[in-house]
Amino acid sequence: MVIFRPSRFADLPGIEKLINESAAQVSTLPADRDKLGEKIDQSCRSFAGDESMAGKERYLFVLEDTESKEILGTSGIDACAGNGAPFYNYRLDELIHSSQQLGVFNKVPILYMTHELTGSPLLCSLTISPRYRKTEYFDLLSRSRFLFMGQHRERFQSRIIVEIQGKQGDSGDSPFWDSLGRHFFDMDFATADYYSGIKSKTFIAEMMPPHPIYVNLLTKDAQDAIAQPHSAARDNCQFLNREGFRMGRYIDIFDGGPTLEADLDNLTTVKSTKTKQVKLSDNQTGLQYLMCNTLFEDFRATLANVTDGMGDLLRLKRSTAEAILVSEGDNVQFAPL
Amino acid sequence: MIIRPISSKDLDAVYELAKSAGIGVTTLPANRELLSQRIEESERSFSERIEQEHAYYMFGLEDTEAGTIVGVSAIKARVGLDEVWYNYRVSTTVNASKELGIHKQTPTLYLTNDMTNCSEICTLFLHEKYRNSFNGQLLSKCRFLFLADFSERFSNKIFAEMRGYTNTQGESPFWEDLGRKFFSLEFSQADYLSGIGNKAFIAELMPKYPIYVPFFSQEARDVIGQVHEHTRPALAMLESEGFNFNGLVDIFDAGPLVESFVHGIRSVRDSAKRFVMPVQKTGIDEIAEPYMISNRSFSNFRVGLLDSDQIKSDTVSLNHDLMDHLQLGAGDTVRVVALKAKRSDA
Repeated sequence: MVIFRPSRFADLPGIEKLINESAAQVSTLPADRDKLGEKIDQSCRSFAGDESMAGKERYLFVLEDTESKEILGTSGIDACAGNGAPFYNYRLDELIHSSQQLGVFNKVPILYMTHELTGSPLLCSLTISPRYRKTEYFDLLSRSRFLFMGQHRERFQSRIIVEIQGKQGDSGDSPFWDSLGRHFFDMDFATADYYSGIKSKTFIAEMMPPHPIYVNLLTKDAQDAIAQPHSAARDNCQFLNREGFRMGRYIDIFDGGPTLEADLDNLTTVKSTKTKQVKLSDNQTGLQYLMCNTLFEDFRATLANVTDGMGDLLRLKRSTAEAILVSEGDNVQFAPL
Repeated sequence: MIIRPISSKDLDAVYELAKSAGIGVTTLPANRELLSQRIEESERSFSERIEQEHAYYMFGLEDTEAGTIVGVSAIKARVGLDEVWYNYRVSTTVNASKELGIHKQTPTLYLTNDMTNCSEICTLFLHEKYRNSFNGQLLSKCRFLFLADFSERFSNKIFAEMRGYTNTQGESPFWEDLGRKFFSLEFSQADYLSGIGNKAFIAELMPKYPIYVPFFSQEARDVIGQVHEHTRPALAMLESEGFNFNGLVDIFDAGPLVESFVHGIRSVRDSAKRFVMPVQKTGIDEIAEPYMISNRSFSNFRVGLLDSDQIKSDTVSLNHDLMDHLQLGAGDTVRVVALKAKRSDA
């Protein structure tokens, strides 16, 4: 069985193996062992309610095959984007430059550096083993976070965000970076991205030019890359769109990738979540649902076939119940796939 | 050749002069109404019928034999009081991190009104036929003798805007990369509008935030602070007078602004007073080492040329012809200075 649960130290080798397998770079999930260990530690402390993480909790989950003990994926939530430091974005805005006398009326797109999204819950660290990418386990890995957030609603602000990797050229370069950030760093995107991962994004962001950027002064390629997702991120974007995420006015300051926003209470998963009492059963029939317990530190989710009948009881197979740490009479929450 | 204030009777001559300038010379637009306004402004300035800070003094180079104006130059007492005066300041932004081994200097243009309240030497134009001997120097530098005697009417610093680089097609690479994207105009059009004092559109259309220079093409970057080929002699002349690039450039073509303190201008600093001594004959056929001489009059300001041999320790020897042109009598004080900087000064 495959379950979704908070990460723990023992997962470190498994996560490393996973990162090596998956081609896509995830800058919020460092390949460096020490950094990875630190990230798991932060997550453990966040779940344990440790004061050191108060107001900047970072939750990291894993997808685990309970039989092989293999880690199949990771996903995370930073409760407050920026994690106690400013969280930088460009806000895409528009100025009107007009002269009645000359009959000129120009809309001038402009990028303002902003910290406005600091403190919003940020989805991050999504990595899945290539074998499971297009399966229902991707739903389990990504959407279980919404079950978790919906359930522990008081811990999160309503506007949740996710940063989508920006458009890249064939050779892995970023046209947006090449036209903007590069002038101030003298390094290619991959190097800057690497530093961003090992130092902190804020560290790099604070070296970016502070003044607003007139979009029409950037190269055509860079202008075209604004708010465009990386080709490898398109499926995930569609997935997030179905869930209720929309492109707002924010883009990444490095690669110009879009920052998607959604209202937590209006997420498809959250809106379709039901709570019922468990009635243990020896077999399972019916449709497949995302199913989770109502715990915090011991949060578990899995995929289960159940029949969502009229009553308040839900028949759940014994092995499934055990996997998500629920007993007869406990509440579970579930949402359709 | 004599320098004197322009009067309204000169309008036709100045208009003809402006027409001969052709397209592209915006210091003297061939716009009769506008020229008439400027001349009137200048007349009121010389006759003190205008507030000092709004004064605009226009000088004409008169061919005394032909009796006509062949060149003009001017001083604007203060810029940026009636309209808003814009320049870019070429500044530097530094990005540095020891940890990352980065120290990156980025030229950055800041839109400023820094020259507001400063005096400008401007509107210099000499008819093509007269661009020889000492005329150009006289037309430009006569203004410094005016400054020397009436400095209280001007700011401590004097500046001049130099025409920026344009290619053989008359296009400005700087304009192509910046102005065009915001103004939706041709460079010549914008330059003309600005030249005739119609500057409201600048405030309406110009980007207000600082501009990072690396966003420009190499060609545009290279011309920031560079003068037009034809302006090089004028720049060299001002530099020899003590003017220096002050870090500001024109917002359209990125031509440089040069400035100097009044007391630092060579023609002001080295000028000296003498008494007029009338002579029948000066004994000078041709001027070998030219000096400028001003009559130190405000409303009837005159400047002419004489030879260094006419200048003695206390006096200058002038024949009646020059005395008439300069409106001088015996015993009047004049101001004299060498027309050109000596090599060691340059």
